[in-house]
Amino acid sequence: MPLVEIFGLGIFDSITSQRGYAVVIESFPYFLGGAGYTIALTFLSLSMGMVLGLFLGLGKLSANRILYFLSTAFIDFFRGTPLFVQIFLLYFGVLPLFYDNDPISSAIIALGLNSAAYIGEIVRAGIQAVDPGQQEAARSLGMNQRQAMTYVILPQAFKIVIPPMINEFIALLKDSSLVSAITVPELMHRGDLVFANTYQATWIFASIAVIYFVITKTISTIGDKVERRLATD
Amino acid sequence: MIKVIDLYKSFEQLHVLKGVNFQVAPREVVCVIGPSGSGKSTLLRCINKLEEANSGHIYIDGKELTNPKTDINLIRQQVGMVFQLFNLFPHKSTLENITLAPIKIKELSKASADKLALELLGKVGLTDKAHVYPNKLSGGQKQRVAIARALAMQPKVMLFDEPTSSLDPEMVGEVLAVMKDLAIEGMTMVVVTHEMGFAREVGHRVVFMDDGVIVEEGTPQEIFDNPKNPRTKAFLSKVL
Amino acid sequence: MNRLARLFLSTLLVVALVFPLVGCGGEQSSEKVLKIGTNATFPPFEFQQSNEFTGFDIDLINAIAEEQGYQVEINHMDFKALIPGLQNDKIDGAIAAMTINAERLESVDFTTPYFDAGLIIAVGQDNDTILSTEDLKGKKLAAQNGTTGARYCNSVKEQDPATDVRIFDDIGLAFMELEKAGVDAVVNDLPVTSYYLATTENTKLKTVGEVFSTEEQYGIAVKKGNTEMLDMFNEGLEKVKANGKYDELYDKWF
Repeated sequence: MPLVEIFGLGIFDSITSQRGYAVVIESFPYFLGGAGYTIALTFLSLSMGMVLGLFLGLGKLSANRILYFLSTAFIDFFRGTPLFVQIFLLYFGVLPLFYDNDPISSAIIALGLNSAAYIGEIVRAGIQAVDPGQQEAARSLGMNQRQAMTYVILPQAFKIVIPPMINEFIALLKDSSLVSAITVPELMHRGDLVFANTYQATWIFASIAVIYFVITKTISTIGDKVERRLATD
Repeated sequence: MIKVIDLYKSFEQLHVLKGVNFQVAPREVVCVIGPSGSGKSTLLRCINKLEEANSGHIYIDGKELTNPKTDINLIRQQVGMVFQLFNLFPHKSTLENITLAPIKIKELSKASADKLALELLGKVGLTDKAHVYPNKLSGGQKQRVAIARALAMQPKVMLFDEPTSSLDPEMVGEVLAVMKDLAIEGMTMVVVTHEMGFAREVGHRVVFMDDGVIVEEGTPQEIFDNPKNPRTKAFLSKVL
Repeated sequence: MNRLARLFLSTLLVVALVFPLVGCGGEQSSEKVLKIGTNATFPPFEFQQSNEFTGFDIDLINAIAEEQGYQVEINHMDFKALIPGLQNDKIDGAIAAMTINAERLESVDFTTPYFDAGLIIAVGQDNDTILSTEDLKGKKLAAQNGTTGARYCNSVKEQDPATDVRIFDDIGLAFMELEKAGVDAVVNDLPVTSYYLATTENTKLKTVGEVFSTEEQYGIAVKKGNTEMLDMFNEGLEKVKANGKYDELYDKWF
């Protein structure tokens, strides 16, 4: 056989014969199952975050002092403390007071509340980015504030917030790895468990990183397409 | 129709309106002229409460605007406004821009609203643009749509805030023509403008403002041909 | 740029280059340093108290090092990171209440045993259904990642797939989960569990059943094949046992 082929086969062999390679190949379906949890977690938390975030953003712009104070306090707290701390605080401290909380629902709540705070700011900034003249035109026609928001401001703010929202989606997906600490069987936790039993750190965490990357890259590519489509409208 | 009594308005340290008394009778067309910073736009914006006065009283068709208990949204339905920068809704077609308020506020059916909108577009000469989006319209076309949009609520008064100041010269005429037609039909109008030709030809009364007060007012002939106040004379000599 | 600025920057450059060399010189001491890895969240074997590492294992390794003429530098890390740490030469030895077993012997070498332990079950104070290891099947169990307790829980799951096994990186979190009734039992080393129940004045938890897996013994781990380091530790351990220091430490902590 030609020299290059022998050389190539040699490299292939030295890679595939490593124990780490075997561990990763064997654990891959297990990891993919974890990725499924990661994606599902992110979707559910993001949905919660978007609904709550919309109210928080509007609250921060409200003339009502109570709404303003509550929204600002919420956003300040969840953006001002580490997500890791919030996860533990909610899981062991706060949520048990309300129900017999399991890791998955606790994770969704923790991630949801955290992302709501960031989304609240995105919504607020998006609304403020809409030309003030739009508000003036809507109100001068006789619309009340709710009608102006619903039919004129928010539809325009929607287009503006799409890029930062996609960023938040990706950030949340990566941050979801933190809930491995409360034993949610998502991607990071599964890598952790396999590592503790096999010690193949490099192979395991490199492949975990690749999986995360594939997911985030897919999201950002779809996001770019969505952005471009909306821009040509 | 409009009564403004002793109006004061300041923005923080800046005093913009310093005791303005102003009246507009029904079917009257009043043109407000003056240098920039004189407060004319602010006066106009106080009339539909886009700016809130610090003191004084404003009455629209007998109802007190400055009373906090008054429903401002109801009054605004009677007062149409046309902006210097058009402020058309970019996410809606021309037709939708016009029908939005009647449908949502007056609860018109889509059919009736569309019919009304097409009539108004006919009036401003833009029926063929009904389904076009604002970003495809020229400045003059946008402003005419804006006028149609304001008229869709069938207001008793129309306020114009420098409606042609952002237009290329060749489009000014088409907008002024629409406004002239409106005046002939008997609409009560308050127009803040630099278009002296329009003021002279269409206005029933011209009001000259400077430094937060009304300096002089009268018929177009009185103001343009025979200004009495030296400040009026100084201003007119610069613009005419 | 002007002369003053140039002078200032060149001085800064010289200082930046010379300073590390000066620092290096000062660090050279006559004693050899042992980098010892541990997971300092496992009282009474290793834990942190007012910013210092302390515990039976800590005292023991310090005693051994003293006998053999070394200084100890404690490197705290996740339990599961200890063996990889040895494999990658990040640490010279690991002492962390680590049980000597066949699985681990594939990756590291152990000294002669220095402690006899075993596993015990901890449950909630009101739990009447779990009385021994037999009753663990089908329940919700928690343990620390990488420990023999975790391995035992997983073996229970193999026998009864209905068993839910939750693996935490920190034994403290596993106990908290038990207190919260998120799991039914925690399987962990006897001394650590007893210590936790005793020192936290725990009225919420209790131990049940007999100590099991009593063939469990702790050893100090070194990189596989590093006979020099292994012999050094074994020798030191011998000396410490012989001169009574070991008994002294045992009494202190147990």
